[in-house]
Amino acid sequence: METHCLKRPTRRQFLSSVAFTILAGSAAPVMARSISGSLPWEARSADPPVQVKPGGWLFFTPEEAQTMEAVADRLVPADELSLGGKDAGCVLYLDRQLVGSYGTSSRLYTKGPFMPGLATQGYQAPDTPAQRYRSGIAALNAFTRETKGGKRFAELAPADQDAVLTDLEAGKITLPNKVDAKSFFNLMLANVMEGFFADPIYGGNKDMASWKMLGFPGARYDYRDHVSKHNQPYPLPPVSIAGSMEWMTR
Amino acid sequence: MSKILFSLTLAATTFSAGLALAQAPDQADEIIRGRYQAILGDCAACHTAPGAKPLSGGLPLETPFGQIIPPNITPDKASGIGNWTEADFRSALKTGIGHDGKRLYPAMPYPAYTRMTDRDIGNLWSYLRTVDPVFNPVESNQLPFPFNIRLSMMGWNMLNFAPGEFRPDPSKSAEWNRGAYIVQGPGHCGTCHSPKTVLGADETSEALQGGSLQGWYAPNITGNSYIGIGSWSEDEIVQYLKTGTNGHTIASGPMAEAIQASTSLMADEDVKAIATYLKSTEGGPAQKPQPIPASDARMKVGAAIYHDTCSACHGGDGKGASQLFPALAGSSIVQQPSSETLTRLVLQGSQAVHTPQAKTTPSMPSLGWKLSDEQVAAVLTYVRNSWGNAAPSVGASDIGAQR
Ligand code: HEC
Ligand code: HEC
Ligand code: HEC
Repeated sequence: METHCLKRPTRRQFLSSVAFTILAGSAAPVMARSISGSLPWEARSADPPVQVKPGGWLFFTPEEAQTMEAVADRLVPADELSLGGKDAGCVLYLDRQLVGSYGTSSRLYTKGPFMPGLATQGYQAPDTPAQRYRSGIAALNAFTRETKGGKRFAELAPADQDAVLTDLEAGKITLPNKVDAKSFFNLMLANVMEGFFADPIYGGNKDMASWKMLGFPGARYDYRDHVSKHNQPYPLPPVSIAGSMEWMTR
Repeated sequence: MSKILFSLTLAATTFSAGLALAQAPDQADEIIRGRYQAILGDCAACHTAPGAKPLSGGLPLETPFGQIIPPNITPDKASGIGNWTEADFRSALKTGIGHDGKRLYPAMPYPAYTRMTDRDIGNLWSYLRTVDPVFNPVESNQLPFPFNIRLSMMGWNMLNFAPGEFRPDPSKSAEWNRGAYIVQGPGHCGTCHSPKTVLGADETSEALQGGSLQGWYAPNITGNSYIGIGSWSEDEIVQYLKTGTNGHTIASGPMAEAIQASTSLMADEDVKAIATYLKSTEGGPAQKPQPIPASDARMKVGAAIYHDTCSACHGGDGKGASQLFPALAGSSIVQQPSSETLTRLVLQGSQAVHTPQAKTTPSMPSLGWKLSDEQVAAVLTYVRNSWGNAAPSVGASDIGAQR
């Protein structure tokens, strides 16, 4: 989920980080370890993702959740191909991500300097995703209240919602509190897509709906038995990290 | 013989270089032969804890009766066997009665070592005197009452123990006899591979037909071609014992340790003799049962789990990938009467043996976090009854007991 691009280090930064590593290395020799014989290994070792269970919001307020469900349903509308973003669990997915390391950027470098970057360098400002959703949703609803007869985003008709989202994406709207409309739209789009296509274990992609739609086989990693079978559909149903209906013993 | 002249390491080369100055060549030979006996007998497997000085005491052994800790057998006078005489040592290996009449528990495999020749035991003793003495007191006896009473071993020995040296069978070849000697004597293969009586003794009438130990199952290694090693050629047995892998399987757990510390270091002709002997032994069911049909509900669930979870490594056809992922099709380990090893592998994972010829040490991931007891039972039932395999189904309660 951490999609921020790291800035390319300059030569000087590189040199100083080497010096740092050497210092740290001599202070704590455990950092460098040579391994001979078998690779290190431990029985029962696994770092499995925890299955997200629906029920209550951990990050969003009910109003925020409602807003995001409306957004998700416009970005992934229910149609003959699949269910919509809301029913697929995209907001559940997002809610749980925002209380985890993604929401707090706890695995990213977050100390400045903060300078405008190139488009290819991704998001460069100090706010964490959690802060961006908090301020972004508030700004979006303030904007629609102001311009759409006092209605919150979720209360608009689907066609009006589409119009607002289209303008957000194009940067035609100026949101209050200095929220960057375009950048907030891109954040929502990326996260809703993740929720829709990621493994159901993370809360979205209910019943592997998006994988069934695409014919994506899921969490598998070996196709030796099928590489030579040209122009034949892959026969096995998709499978989640947590298994599938076919695994049900009763 | 002075210990100062003789503070030797396990490395025979450094040893023989230094030795030439100090000792007569015949004694050097004796010690080198004794060191080889310690490899055949794999004394270090139990008597050396990981990372500790050689033979200075091991990790606790779990027995059905409680814990026993293999003691310090370095020549340290205070905490090892420095005060023992050669006669004490001989008696310990031959009768299970050590220094001062101490009755040993058969967790020390004297019921196998009793088959060793006097010469081999003598050589082993000469070698043990040269090991670095280490001060490390160990209280072996951690058993609960009444098993903690050493005298109870008197009764045990009367019931379960037939002392006596190996008797060659003159109708068989010298190679066969050498193999039988190593397997039954110093190699103590039956300590793991023979089923146990309720008293914890080897079930001699079912020698090498498979036994449970500390959460692993040491499989049938007789010449039985259904669940033994009958379908392996002698060369494949040799390759397994020398390197830990052959086209069929990759050794794990206690056998990986036995291969690393013992069989891979044995002389080629000795390993070949073992193969000749094992191929000639018989035991276990002659007939393969009918496999559970693929239409069975457990088999269907098992098939789905297998193809989603295991086939990436072991192949859709169960044939594995030689040296890297063992074949499950036709595997005798997969078809043993007990599914203990299989359950353990799936729940805990396992790292393959490491020998100079097999350095990759591929590992099987632990899958206990993602599969329920019912699911593990179903997938194991499936692998035990697919691709020509046939073996009893596995129940969910067997899995729960091993979690
Ligand atoms: C399977 C594990 C195992 C192996 C292999 C093994 N031992 Fe032991 N040994 C033990 C245990 C356990 C004891 C303690 C028994 C007791 O206290 O009753 C023991 C006790 C002894 C003792 C008695 C020591 C004392 O202080 O009473 C001697 C001597 C000994 N072992 C020598 C050897 C030699 C030599 C070999 C290799 C040929 C060997 N052992 C291999 C487990 C093992
Ligand atoms: C400490 C216990 C132990 C000892 C001692 C031991 N084995 Fe094993 N052995 C095992 C276990 C456990 C396995 C199963 C390994 C696995 O699951 O990969 C095994 C597997 C084997 C296999 C492979 C069988 C198959 O079908 O894949 C052979 C052959 C074998 N042992 C031979 C021997 C011989 C010969 C000796 C004596 C020199 C010996 N073992 C001593 C525990 C032991
Ligand atoms: C990532 C690859 C991988 C996956 C996935 C995997 N295994 Fe394994 N498996 C291995 C390796 C490597 C070994 C050898 C480990 C060893 O020797 O200790 C092994 C060993 C085994 C063995 C012992 C075979 C023998 O000859 O000793 C069995 C049985 C087994 N696996 C069953 C399964 C089952 C059932 C599954 C699915 C639930 C599974 N494995 C999934 C890699 C894998």
